[in-house]
Amino acid sequence: MMEIFNDLIKEKMYKYEHESGLNVFVMPKKGFIKQYAMFATHYGSNDREFIIPDESEIVHVPDGIAHFLEHKMFEEESGSIFEEFSKNGASANAYTNFTTTAYLFSCTDNFYSNLKLLLDFVQRPYFTDENVEKEKGIIAQEIRMYDDDPSWRLFFNMLGGLYHIHPVKVDIAGTIESISKIDKDILYKCYSTFYHPSNMVLFVTGDVDIDKVAEIVNNSVKAEKRHGEIKRIYPDEPAKINKSYVEQKMAVSMPLFNIGFKDNDIGYGGEKLLKKDITTQICLEILAGRSSDLYEELYNDGLIDTTFDVEYVGEVDHGYSIIGGQSRDPEAVKKAVINKISSIDKVDDGDFNRIKRKILGRFIKSFNSVESISHSFIAYYMKDINILDFTSVIEDITSDDVLNRFKTYFKEDNCVLSVVKP
Amino acid sequence: MPIIKENLANGIKLYVNKLNKFKTVTINIYISNKLSDETAKFALLPSILRRGSYSFKTYKEITKHLEDLYGATFAFSVYKKGERQIAQFKLEIVDGTYLKEDILEDSIKFISDILLNPLISNDGFEQTYVQQEKEKQKNLINSRINEKTKYAVERCIEEMCKDEDYSIYELGNVDDVDKIDEKNLYEYYKKAIKRLPIDIFVVGNVDVDKVKELFNKYFKIERTSIDVIPDTPIFKKIDKVKYVEDRFDVTQGKLTLGYRTNVNPWEDQYFPLLVLSGVLGGGPFSKLFMNVRERESLAYYAQTRLERFKGLMLIMSGIEIANYKKALEIIQKQVEEIKSGNISDYEFDSAVKALITSFNSIKDSGTQLADFYLSQKLSHTNYSIDDFISKIKQVTKDDIVEVSKKLQLDTVYFMTKK
Repeated sequence: MMEIFNDLIKEKMYKYEHESGLNVFVMPKKGFIKQYAMFATHYGSNDREFIIPDESEIVHVPDGIAHFLEHKMFEEESGSIFEEFSKNGASANAYTNFTTTAYLFSCTDNFYSNLKLLLDFVQRPYFTDENVEKEKGIIAQEIRMYDDDPSWRLFFNMLGGLYHIHPVKVDIAGTIESISKIDKDILYKCYSTFYHPSNMVLFVTGDVDIDKVAEIVNNSVKAEKRHGEIKRIYPDEPAKINKSYVEQKMAVSMPLFNIGFKDNDIGYGGEKLLKKDITTQICLEILAGRSSDLYEELYNDGLIDTTFDVEYVGEVDHGYSIIGGQSRDPEAVKKAVINKISSIDKVDDGDFNRIKRKILGRFIKSFNSVESISHSFIAYYMKDINILDFTSVIEDITSDDVLNRFKTYFKEDNCVLSVVKP
Repeated sequence: MPIIKENLANGIKLYVNKLNKFKTVTINIYISNKLSDETAKFALLPSILRRGSYSFKTYKEITKHLEDLYGATFAFSVYKKGERQIAQFKLEIVDGTYLKEDILEDSIKFISDILLNPLISNDGFEQTYVQQEKEKQKNLINSRINEKTKYAVERCIEEMCKDEDYSIYELGNVDDVDKIDEKNLYEYYKKAIKRLPIDIFVVGNVDVDKVKELFNKYFKIERTSIDVIPDTPIFKKIDKVKYVEDRFDVTQGKLTLGYRTNVNPWEDQYFPLLVLSGVLGGGPFSKLFMNVRERESLAYYAQTRLERFKGLMLIMSGIEIANYKKALEIIQKQVEEIKSGNISDYEFDSAVKALITSFNSIKDSGTQLADFYLSQKLSHTNYSIDDFISKIKQVTKDDIVEVSKKLQLDTVYFMTKK
């Protein structure tokens, strides 16, 4: 077992690699009542085309299959695995995003028994023609729920504006039409490709014993090491945006908008990506955060309200910033943002240091909750980032880095406006 | 360490829960009022106070100060528990152990300044702030339709409680907001801050005496006699079930059923009611999940929610519009099953255990702890979380059947396409 420390936030994490290639991480949290475990595979909706290890043929799969697979994993020959978690008073769940499918539970009792359940059921697919058909009705309602969700549509319309062919523009759950093509054979094929332990990670946090965790992993994970690699095929996305304006009409009271900036400085993970991520967050805060001149101007002009927010999403193979909210005149907001960007020629030290303090404080705060620790850990892990490096990386960032990022990334021709109108 | 209750010099109640496992200290200040024609005014106050104070004149200055305090989060929300409207101010700061300095005193000084020393000009609030925040509040009221899942539940409650104060939306209505100006709002504020109940909860690694001393030093306000907010009426006789339909530009139908529980928040029957709600729609083990979702594939979500302080139970689901009749029938059948005692050991045990887990989990969150203790105060029960759990453990299936007899369907609400 390897120990990883962070003295500033007084946390440590234990890392252990199982012989199957599964990486296991445990972060003990003394005094916490809740325990939380996540078992995640590096497999998401972006993986539409791939080559199975030791084969040569390209496999194309229907959109929404990673998410469909996630739903079906909960079904066992004997019934639903929810039943076993429920008997232990645990609450189990899962989610699928662009790059990751994660299975998780939280509990306050019977932790080790729940951990065994988690490891076992994710390693035990059970798909039949009948249970696959049954799921299509449930997922169809999930898709419809998102179709009626203005924020979700707004976000995907923005991605559609930013990207020409990158799979991130495709809805994670697919469409009612695409999921109709899913059957048990294709599910098994995806499962055996992406659910090998060497493509997965286990993260555990709470007041738990690390040796007991290791013992359960050793007893439950049987797979042997796999040598071949999965080849994931992603199309070559042009650097230019697809469309600079996207609009949809929905039942809303006032226009909602997302202003997106496409990031083309991509293709790497690790500390370098973390540094870019935090640097971009600082840019966004200085540009349009709550203490910025721009926020004050837009607010006083009645162009934005407190729903206005900024965010950067940095993945290995794509990235974008979002400035969004609701406004009577989204075009005017976009114009003001672009004007402000072009007027930036220096970064004020006061602003820079204050925003750094804020981001550091928020990071420390996130270690209060076993849920947020786990979710951040998994998101960073999939990008080859160690979450406990955060404090040293933020320390290294200079105001020159921030200015440089402003100059190279935030440009009008990278920018998309997505609007949902009444 | 149990929660400690203290009185400030001005009579305001201070509750401190010293716990050293958190990385932050959470300060929650709750101001309560009765839902009434003053609701819009009461709801607007936090937005005005948040815009600027005597020491921090603009939102930007306030935000910069918070950023300097290592990204302290300061947020307010306005909601209701029964017919009591609550304004919650929450300040969460990083514990000094993780910083080079202790920011507790600065933080208490800050939150006191925001609440008690507002920016005043010409014997009123700052006019531009009031104008802007009024617009924002009206926009928020109008944008309720955006989130259909939540709105379908709110609409059901509104129709159910049409003639009761509980139907008043927590931010009031647009007409009432229009009547507000900087003068009448300031007059209202001066009275409100003296006479409305205020409760302060602090959770984290703090010294109780020190916290009390700091609040006595900074949270200085003269209080008059304090309003008594009456308990919310719960009981209602239903002669005929109401059926209500709204039409929107949607693809999924939202079916919500509103029941009267006829159980007061302080009664012991609240505990079997909690378990009942769990058995019916409190998780993947529940009757609604198993039958509406898994067996019939009718919905992605089908679940229950209790409104403890108004005696309501809501069943909510998102369904294919054409399946309305079938879904309604299957949902009602699940309630009938419970009434006739058809509850399996698995459903019962799972519901009890899920509740125990969720109440135990409150101990891991400063704000949830504060909310739990506030609820105990409002229900006149002095339970700890462990008391709550042992009450839940005592519930039997017979108790559930007994309390189910009190359930009455009041309203069936359906949001459907145009």
